[in-house]
Amino acid sequence: MNALRLLRAASLPSLCGALLSSAGACDRLPGRPESAQVAQEGSPEWTAHVFNTSCRGCHAQGSEGAAVPLMDNAYWRAATDEQVTQAVLHGQGVLMPAFGPTVGGPFTPSQASALTRGMRALWGGGAVRSPEMSGTVVAGNATNGKAIFDVACAACHGANGSSGSVTDPMYLRLVSDQGLWTAVVAGRRALGSPAWNEPMPGRPNGLTTTEVADVVAYLSSERPRSMSEMQP
Amino acid sequence: MKAPRMFGVAIDWVESRTGAVAFIAPLLTHHVPRNAKWWYVFGSATLMFFTIQIVTGVCLATLYAPSAAEAWESLRYIDQQVPFGWMLRALHGWSSNAMVVMMAIHMLQVFLHASYKFPRELNWVTGVFLLFTVLALAFTGQVMRWDQDAYWGLGIGASIADRVPLIGNQVRGLLLGGPIIGGETLSRFFALHVFVLPGAAIGLVGLHLALIMKNGISEMPKPGATVEPATYRAEYEQRMEKDGVPFYPDAAQRDMVFCGACLVLLVVLAAVYGPFGPGGQPDPTLIDTNPRPDYPFLWIFGAVSLLPPASETAVMLVAPLVGVLVLVAVPFLANAGERAPSRRPGMVLVAALAVMAVAALTWEGKTSPWSPVMDGWSALPTPSHFLTGRTPLEVQGANVFQFAQCRNCHSLNGLGGERGPALDAIATRMTADQLMRQIQQGDGNMPAFGRNLDSAQMTALVSFLTTLRPEFEAPAVIPGAQLPLPVRQMPGEVATPVAAGTQ
Ligand code: HEC
Ligand code: HEC
Ligand code: HEC
Repeated sequence: MNALRLLRAASLPSLCGALLSSAGACDRLPGRPESAQVAQEGSPEWTAHVFNTSCRGCHAQGSEGAAVPLMDNAYWRAATDEQVTQAVLHGQGVLMPAFGPTVGGPFTPSQASALTRGMRALWGGGAVRSPEMSGTVVAGNATNGKAIFDVACAACHGANGSSGSVTDPMYLRLVSDQGLWTAVVAGRRALGSPAWNEPMPGRPNGLTTTEVADVVAYLSSERPRSMSEMQP
Repeated sequence: MKAPRMFGVAIDWVESRTGAVAFIAPLLTHHVPRNAKWWYVFGSATLMFFTIQIVTGVCLATLYAPSAAEAWESLRYIDQQVPFGWMLRALHGWSSNAMVVMMAIHMLQVFLHASYKFPRELNWVTGVFLLFTVLALAFTGQVMRWDQDAYWGLGIGASIADRVPLIGNQVRGLLLGGPIIGGETLSRFFALHVFVLPGAAIGLVGLHLALIMKNGISEMPKPGATVEPATYRAEYEQRMEKDGVPFYPDAAQRDMVFCGACLVLLVVLAAVYGPFGPGGQPDPTLIDTNPRPDYPFLWIFGAVSLLPPASETAVMLVAPLVGVLVLVAVPFLANAGERAPSRRPGMVLVAALAVMAVAALTWEGKTSPWSPVMDGWSALPTPSHFLTGRTPLEVQGANVFQFAQCRNCHSLNGLGGERGPALDAIATRMTADQLMRQIQQGDGNMPAFGRNLDSAQMTALVSFLTTLRPEFEAPAVIPGAQLPLPVRQMPGEVATPVAAGTQ
């Protein structure tokens, strides 16, 4: 019974103690949900970790990964930082998930731009070539675009092309205009898709900004605006 | 007038009008068995956690916005902005789990000591109903987080409701407030979680306590001291008269010490581990492939994952009913005779088996089949040889494959989840039609993606999957059937950039 009495005597003060100390130390308690990441934000290790767990599944390198390979220099020679941060925070098109806080994603805006800078530090190198991207697609002329497409692209992407259609409505439903712009400008060498910000045989300057805008406008005009438009 | 005297007058005044003292005094002074030592504290601790749930729950209800659009945001607001808000959520969450655990221990103790025998059969039955009410509170509470776990839990609940023969659709509609999980669903579960179920629980707790007062607290079982319904009551009363101790302070102080310790533990857990969730926002287009039901339900998921798919419907619908019936029947099957565990080895074995089964299934639910590779979709790139030589549509199909988190359950090139079969050579086993059906309708433990993928995503995905086969193996065909999508011959090499656009 003595032990019991002792316990009883001790329980109330210790309870109060626990409550008080938790109140005092509230900001430092381990259970408090964190809004910030722990690792040194923006460091190469941090960037690699975040990228490997959150992005690499879709954006790898060479012919690996289904979306534009962010580990390749070609992309960074074509894109600006603000565009990348924008895509990370708000997503892009149908298949790029948003990672920003407005959708409950894991990244704060400052983390998103730290990630962008970190990625450029790892894989960037070299200035951004024209026609660069700025986060908004330049409006183009679809009729001119069709003409350029017939000359520059149809050999690979036309009816008898070997590389598959890029005017297929199903395909176009899944890719944003920005995504088309990137596909044309940065290309994807490892899969046989040329980069049009580089000299091409017969086109020492590749495609100009206006020409790319026109081609994208043409492809965009082929995209059905609703599902019902797609039914044959 | 001196203060104590004024107090006495006030008490008398209230007493003469309400009879409150006459009602409360026996609650405190009634005699309980002297030997009922520490074994009997678990019920009180359960009650304490229940009280905490009500207090923290009322506080949370003042801060929480029960609308689909705001619920998730309001939890983040409580966590980040409201002083001690996160602590409130943590206490509510941890106390909920603690209550379930404490209740299970209490139930186990009652079962082992056969305290449910005459005249306490209904104590047990109300307890069983309380168990299910509290589990329902835990489930609806998880839904309140309105994150992806909640979404998934609801999806599974809805698909169980769907299995009910004949009225499945109606049951589902009643549960969700419509054919799909939407704004109505949250309001419905909110009403259940804060009005209906707590009301039921409070009523049942009252009944449970009234029965305890009526029938008295059972004595420690002694081998040979059997329960004879004809004489038990008289003997019990005699013994209490002679040998009992008043509940307060003798037994109550043990309860207080134990509850105090539980409370300290609760505060520590809440402070160290923080609140549960909310996880990612629920987004109907993203099927979260890592369904993590809260702890009290993990064992059910473990059991389901072990079932052969064909038996699922029968088991999912029948097992809960059988469970309730068996539990309710316990005191009626044996309400007299020996109570000591040493004289009831069979029952001890049953209890031990039940504990081990729940523990093993919880482990199962926590680990193997319900543990897809969480970040497979965003961490494991589609291998090169499944992308080279593909059309842009097929490449987008690979994007859909990652985006829809198929990779979390299905491996490619040996990397990815192993919950479902590897899909490296799926095109040799399934035609485009079969693939489409599999993805739309799901099968066994594969979730139905249905309307979560629109027709463009589905077309791209299926056209990607139909390229997944070794170079020299023929694609699957149904004899005589027409393939809706032409299957291309895969070129072995990368298309080389020829001088295009020069003309
Ligand atoms: C040398 C042949 C060739 C030429 C010329 C060519 N492409 Fe491509 N393109 C490819 C190949 C191969 C792919 C497949 C790789 C892939 O899907 O990423 C491709 C892919 C694409 C894609 C899809 C990229 C994706 O990830 O969704 C687009 C859009 C595209 N090309 C547009 C164009 C446009 C516009 C032109 C003309 C300015 C053009 N291509 C010229 C070979 C070519
Ligand atoms: C589920 C696959 C997936 C994951 C995971 C993913 N992305 Fe994307 N991402 C895509 C797709 C698909 C696109 C192209 C979308 C479009 O334009 O239609 C894209 C586009 C982008 C773009 C814009 C490319 C352009 O057009 O300039 C950037 C930048 C980007 N992603 C960065 C990231 C980063 C950083 C992460 C990791 C935090 C990430 N992505 C994770 C699939 C993914
Ligand atoms: C939660 C885990 C999970 C996810 C996510 C998932 N699957 Fe499955 N899948 C399974 C399981 C488990 C099976 C085995 C089917 C059964 O139990 O009858 C399966 C079977 C399949 C099969 C048939 C395989 C065969 O050999 O019979 C295909 C095809 C398939 N899934 C495709 C997909 C696609 C495409 C996606 C993404 C849209 C996907 N799965 C997402 C778990 C999953």
